[in-house]
Amino acid sequence: MILLILLIITAYLINLVFPWWAIAITGLILGFQMKPASGKAFGIGFLALFLLWSGQALYVHLANDGILSTRIAEMLGVGSPILVISITGIIGGLVSGLAVLSGSLLKKNFSKK
Amino acid sequence: MNYLKTLISSLILVVLIVSLNTQFGSVPPIGKFVDPQAGFWANAETSIPESDQLSIDDFDGNASVYFDERRVPHIFAENEYDLYFAQGYVVARDRLFQLEIQTLDASGRLSEKIGDRALNRDKETRRRGMPYGAEKALEMMKQDSKTWEIVNAYADGVNAYISSLEPKNYPVEYKILDFAPEKWTPIKTAHLLKNMTRTLAGGNSDDRTSNTLEYFGAEFIEKFFETKPELNDPIIPPSRKWDFEGIPVQAPDTLFKSASAVELGEYEKPEGVGSNNWAVSGSKTKSGYPILTNDPHLSLTLPSIWYEVQLNAPGINSYGVTLQGTPGIVIGFNENVAWGVTNVAADVMDWYEIKFKDESQKEYWHDGKWKSTTMRIEEIKVRGQETVLDTVIYTHHGPITKTESRINEERKPAYHALRWIAHEGSNDIKTFYGLNRAENYDDYVEALSHYVAPAQNFVFASNEDDIALWVNGKFPNKWEFQGRTVSDGTDPLYDWQGWIPFEHNPHIKNPERGFVSSANQESAAPDYPYYLDDDFAPFERGRRINDLLASMEDITAKDMQNMQMDNYSYYAATLLPSLLEWIDAENLDENAQKILQLMKEWDYDMEAEEIAPSFFRQWSGNFYRAVLYDEYETTDAVLRYPSRDRFVEIIKADPDFDFFDNVATEKIETRAEIVTESFNESVEELTNYLGEYGDKWKWGYFINNDVAHLADIPGFGRNNLFSSGSSEAINATRGGFGPSWRMVVEVGPEVKGYGVYPGGASGNPGSPNYDSMIEPWRTGELFELNFMKEKPKEYLYKLEIR
Repeated sequence: MILLILLIITAYLINLVFPWWAIAITGLILGFQMKPASGKAFGIGFLALFLLWSGQALYVHLANDGILSTRIAEMLGVGSPILVISITGIIGGLVSGLAVLSGSLLKKNFSKK
Repeated sequence: MNYLKTLISSLILVVLIVSLNTQFGSVPPIGKFVDPQAGFWANAETSIPESDQLSIDDFDGNASVYFDERRVPHIFAENEYDLYFAQGYVVARDRLFQLEIQTLDASGRLSEKIGDRALNRDKETRRRGMPYGAEKALEMMKQDSKTWEIVNAYADGVNAYISSLEPKNYPVEYKILDFAPEKWTPIKTAHLLKNMTRTLAGGNSDDRTSNTLEYFGAEFIEKFFETKPELNDPIIPPSRKWDFEGIPVQAPDTLFKSASAVELGEYEKPEGVGSNNWAVSGSKTKSGYPILTNDPHLSLTLPSIWYEVQLNAPGINSYGVTLQGTPGIVIGFNENVAWGVTNVAADVMDWYEIKFKDESQKEYWHDGKWKSTTMRIEEIKVRGQETVLDTVIYTHHGPITKTESRINEERKPAYHALRWIAHEGSNDIKTFYGLNRAENYDDYVEALSHYVAPAQNFVFASNEDDIALWVNGKFPNKWEFQGRTVSDGTDPLYDWQGWIPFEHNPHIKNPERGFVSSANQESAAPDYPYYLDDDFAPFERGRRINDLLASMEDITAKDMQNMQMDNYSYYAATLLPSLLEWIDAENLDENAQKILQLMKEWDYDMEAEEIAPSFFRQWSGNFYRAVLYDEYETTDAVLRYPSRDRFVEIIKADPDFDFFDNVATEKIETRAEIVTESFNESVEELTNYLGEYGDKWKWGYFINNDVAHLADIPGFGRNNLFSSGSSEAINATRGGFGPSWRMVVEVGPEVKGYGVYPGGASGNPGSPNYDSMIEPWRTGELFELNFMKEKPKEYLYKLEIR
């Protein structure tokens, strides 16, 4: 739970300054430091960024009356702005999940030495 | 084992990030794109912009920009530099992508940003000499210190905005197409203006006319293209007497025949690039002061081609619309005068068949000797690929295009040089600079004297109760019919031998009838001493405007607004009664009888709510094709089709016109048979396309009016607008095309303007302001334009630029 919250906060902050893929850096570091069980690492990482990105997207969607998300949905051919929000969450989640997993695996390699 | 897992997991992570950060084909880099902080989500407008004070490095001026409730910027500056700097700044702020993509297109540089899918377009743009012409225009602009100052001020303003951006603030189109905005330079202004010439005067039918002459003969040409319909009503009415002689020009003894049927396809003149404008004098208005209107018909896109703005500085207080990339206002008004434009269809683009000495193309035959060509190497950068070098050969006529004829047996390529007005140096901005500041008729004429292309019918009204119209531009002085067919590139008599002096351009001031008007029809009556073209818009819109204006008195601005929405079709009024007379009604089934009855009751208004316009469109189209296609389309060469209005006249006058017969059948078809057949065919087609006869057949649907995004990005346009109108009606709305700005201005002690365009000030698809005027435009509602005499106390928000 702490990992989840830390992931969300650090990803949000780093993304204010660095490009989107910087969320992988905080994921790697936190995965390395907090060493979650490999089985859980991906899931927590995924959930964190899914919540963060889809939450941010949902906020913008509502504040914008869905004007842009509806257009993007049509552009991407996905039909509904809700799907655009979900895709946003899933992409953030995938990157973060893999980053946390890689970080935790890396830690294990180090600890064995 | 763990090492392997770690390796695999990290590898997948890297591959994922790289893929999500890369553009594949037309799919944007998806990770970057959906990033809530810097991806497209950042473009969603979540609140109305707030007032702001901007301190800009390298700018020591002072401008205040007030945005009204429609977010139209009203710019107040202390000098001209600051004024045009601020204009560049706010235009970039609202329309950066449009600003850039239009000039990339005009300079043949699209491939550089979007890859090889634009390569053919870029090649074509360069081969017709667009960048060449822009370079010449730039030289002219440099020579005029005032023009040079304002295009540079504008560029500085655009650049100040661009340098304030971080990637997350780029307009969403940049994120989709994945490139970054580049610096603005004055030549881009020249590119933009050349692009207007391409849009409005970038086509001809020289090849088609040559072929038609060859296949159908001189008599056919005379009958269909030289004889004007009886209802033709030239822009400068026949009552105008000319107090000058034309400058003589020598014509060849016999007309050149091109070597073989040719096809210069890309350059065909599209129908429908047209517009209306008119002005009525105080004698015909309720207020006693003139009223001026204008509605230029162009491709309807989002964002709109136009941007509304007010410019205020010492010496100028002007309101109107402008093109992105042009400092100043193109169509508008100030405290004293109003002006507007429609296109002139003069022939300012000709093809010359070239005789080269040998394959090296280094020399060509002209005026009895071999002359040297020059080479221009066009370097086209292509995103993700090697740069393409395209060598274009230039003669003194202009750039060469190679065509492979499909027809002549040897399939020998033919070479044609293009002589085009866009290749002339020009400083058209100077005209708009003058018009923005004009106080009276003389100022207007002085401003027009600097104008080159695309030639426009400039309508004018002033609070001194003057109205006027100049058919204006730089026109080659041609012998009759020069350049309507492919020209002889070896004979100097086919060259553009000189120009019509500006003072000789067709014009009229304060005519007795109390109004002036133009709708792209013939410029002047036959006694005008120069030849301009044999191909103008059909009489329909022009005649309708003149009919209405002649019958009106005590005119108000509201009357003029209503008139802009007039949907009366002269085409239907002249053709339909005859079709109904000729049809063999006994051969129609019950359903068809119902439709026939509907057609008989119709008042020729192309109203969205009615079904008859849909059926008329289909039926008249099928009839036209049934008469002409069997002859036209079975001929090897591409041919020039007659205009609607003359066609109607001929088929009415000549029941035995031999084109009625379908050459594909043994039987000799009669007019009645063709009419009846095309009627039944139309019922069948509409049923297949729209379903059973009923409400779905309404014209508002069938007109298929889509306002697409400028770069055709799906979801960014507004489709299926239920609209009235037709290309032959004053309200010339048709699918994706039509009145791109409707303006009515009442001059007088207190000038009052009204206007609307289908779009909104903002070019951001994530803003409610992006398409907020589409609905008012559709229903013909014009907004009262907020012309401010001084800085306003109330506004939506403001920007102070320091």
